[in-house]
Amino acid sequence: MISYIIRRLLLAIIVIIGVSIFTFLLTRVVPSEPAARWVGPHATTEQIAAARIELGLDKPIYVQYWKYITSFFKGDWGLSIRTHQPVLHDLVLYFPASLELIIFGMFIAFLIGIPLGIISAARDGTAIDHLSRIFSIAGVALPSFWLGLILQLVFFKELKILPLSGRLDMMTDLLHPVKHITGMYLFDALVTGNFAAWVSALSHIVLPGLTLAAYPLGLAVRMTRATMLEILKEDYIRTSRAYGLSETKILTVYALRNAIGPVLTVSALTFAYSLVSTFLIESVFDWPGLGYYASKAIMTVDYPAIMGVTLLVSFIYVLLNLLVDIAQAFLDPRIRIG
Amino acid sequence: MLKNKINLLKLIGISLLLAVLFGTPVLAAQPQVAVYAYTSEVTIFWDPSDTFSNEIIWMNNVYETLLRYNPFKDTFEPVLAESYEKSADGKTWTFHLRKGVKFHTGNEMDAAAVKASIERTINRGKGASYIWDAVSSIETPDKYTVVFHLKYSTSLDLVVAAGYSAFIFDPKFSDHEWFKAGHDSGTGPYMVESHKGNEEIVLTKFPEYWKGWSGKHFDKVLFKEVPEASTRRLMIGAGQADFTEMLPISEINALKGNPNVKIVHTPSFQNLLALFNTQKPPLNNKLVREALAYTIPYQDIVEGVLGGFGRQSRGVVPYGLWGYSDRIKQYTTSIETAKVLLKEAGYAGGGFKLLLVYTSGDENERRVAELWKSELAKLNINLEVRGMPWDSQWDLAKSPDPNKRQDIFLFYWWPDYANPHSFLSAMFETEKEINFNLDYYSNPLFDDLINTAASITGTNRKEAINLYVEAQNVLMEDAPGVAIYDMEYVRAVRASLKGYVDNPAYPHVVFWYDCYRE
Repeated sequence: MISYIIRRLLLAIIVIIGVSIFTFLLTRVVPSEPAARWVGPHATTEQIAAARIELGLDKPIYVQYWKYITSFFKGDWGLSIRTHQPVLHDLVLYFPASLELIIFGMFIAFLIGIPLGIISAARDGTAIDHLSRIFSIAGVALPSFWLGLILQLVFFKELKILPLSGRLDMMTDLLHPVKHITGMYLFDALVTGNFAAWVSALSHIVLPGLTLAAYPLGLAVRMTRATMLEILKEDYIRTSRAYGLSETKILTVYALRNAIGPVLTVSALTFAYSLVSTFLIESVFDWPGLGYYASKAIMTVDYPAIMGVTLLVSFIYVLLNLLVDIAQAFLDPRIRIG
Repeated sequence: MLKNKINLLKLIGISLLLAVLFGTPVLAAQPQVAVYAYTSEVTIFWDPSDTFSNEIIWMNNVYETLLRYNPFKDTFEPVLAESYEKSADGKTWTFHLRKGVKFHTGNEMDAAAVKASIERTINRGKGASYIWDAVSSIETPDKYTVVFHLKYSTSLDLVVAAGYSAFIFDPKFSDHEWFKAGHDSGTGPYMVESHKGNEEIVLTKFPEYWKGWSGKHFDKVLFKEVPEASTRRLMIGAGQADFTEMLPISEINALKGNPNVKIVHTPSFQNLLALFNTQKPPLNNKLVREALAYTIPYQDIVEGVLGGFGRQSRGVVPYGLWGYSDRIKQYTTSIETAKVLLKEAGYAGGGFKLLLVYTSGDENERRVAELWKSELAKLNINLEVRGMPWDSQWDLAKSPDPNKRQDIFLFYWWPDYANPHSFLSAMFETEKEINFNLDYYSNPLFDDLINTAASITGTNRKEAINLYVEAQNVLMEDAPGVAIYDMEYVRAVRASLKGYVDNPAYPHVVFWYDCYRE
């Protein structure tokens, strides 16, 4: 088991280093003048030359990469060309907003998705099952930016019950600012007793949260339904029924316990996927998270910020994959031996 | 009956709870808050020495300069300096400071602080610090007098009044990292209260501001990035913002009928230029360049692209800035004249292709290019219009081989302070290494004219203007490029906002201390 974990860890490190080299080279191939951006719009040639030295851009690319990667592991992720702040500082600032949105979206997805999957499987072939399948296919198939716009149109423009964009109402933000603890407003406002801000944060997260939830929700319904249908055909379920156990108990205790494994595996990977899918949703809802930061970085060829976001997302992706692999290996000896 | 009573008690209880939770803040006196919805990040730089970008919109409310320039009257308003005088040769400038001014840090503003602020800005060499190039030394003969000794005569009053790199701050609180953490040490009416990344800054009033707080003023100002033009329009229309700008014409038109919004437009010091590649055929031929200048549909562009909020340029210095003059030649749209010039140049019947590059995403530039393309087609000239990211556009323009560069480069320019020199110097003065002279023009006569003009602006403004006018006529003759239009700033302002005066010397700045809501 330990040798398996070590093997997987080494593979993960190789993946991260590969991503870092590839992204580093890619950001340098694009024609850009980061030194000029660093100084400002009317920079003189002397100022640009000085900025090149300041940013280390006068060095050969392999020296720049080595300096970057060695500093990276010491916690220095470089300075953003656009914000002039350390990239790590920026990520700490923007990441919690994305994390909050993803947690909220995933919570909604699984809160609705798993029961819907169970019902669908239990009522296989009925109208409820067909409706739930249509619902899940729509969730997976609809583009998130389109769904976001439609939700805005319905709940903001027509019904006027939910805000258009942002994380907080402007006046609430000014008069009842959220004290920074984790950067996740719902949590921070709640623990500091700032209920005005909590209500505002909740009303703002609903639409982007639902948009983000659509894909994992559809996936959760389909996965739960498929695994439940398999399990419901097992002998022990038939035996349970023969013993006269209630259908609810059979479904939620005996069947679901065995069906939930694959669903949770998929949920871990969907969580990582949501880190990227949230980029578009953040643009639609003006949500100041990682996606907002990344899109600005790309537009301004802010290569240290692009590197930072890419490596952070890759790291989370690889980490979640690793955890899933280890968990599966722990449960199934065939995997770790093979 | 009992159930009904219980329900009623529940209702009262819930109502009370809600009132306690959410009602209390509503009952408390709310501060007067102004909201500025800005199109981009509200700050890039935090250090008042390094400032060179969007932060101008809030920094001019937090930091002050010695003087403030009024370009419409060509006069200076005293700010931190009450008065000033210059020597006959324009090389020694003495400023007498206002007494009793405090920094937000609590320390007093004095001559030593002014000297240290400016020397720090010069020594850091960042941002627009080069505006202090003429300064050789600064003396402080007494606590409230600052004397600048210059290497050459220049309009130092314009320099000390600049919107960038001329701020006075408390030198005891001037650590770069401290500024970057979102702190300030200015003397202005407002100080930084909080910020969220680069997207949002809240300023709150500085109680000890030297002008005092009697009369109507805002208590706080929120600067917020709202990139979507339609959202900014919705905000101003719904009274959620007091001021916004850079709205497309369609959004301006959508606001025109709204009684709660007024549209303010003033001449800006920003213009759009078409720079010709003077080192590559066929535009290395002066006659072809002149012909092209006659093909630009100036009036169609002003009406169709700017919606009338602008004017055709005359020369290179924009309307309203000193150095602009009716004595400068202005091209008209004349396809017939262009035909004659092309024939004279040996290109009768056109038959050549030109590459025009513009910054992708800039709708105005794209539409200008498309209108121009259709005019050039009449002369059998094929204009390829290519939108490129700015970095790629600039990279192409700096290719070592002039033949690999673009033929026409669309380009905006605005001055670092209210001085015509940068318009002429940056884009047309001989450059050893290409920076912004993207027409690659070099003319010793022109260089001499603008540099002589610069050296006498501090002592003989009238003669300096004459030289700048002469220099611009040289440009019109050689046509290394042509300024197409001078923009107007178009702002959407909440109708109840009073006291706002647009000053193009401080582009996009609202001096919020002067404003109030009726």
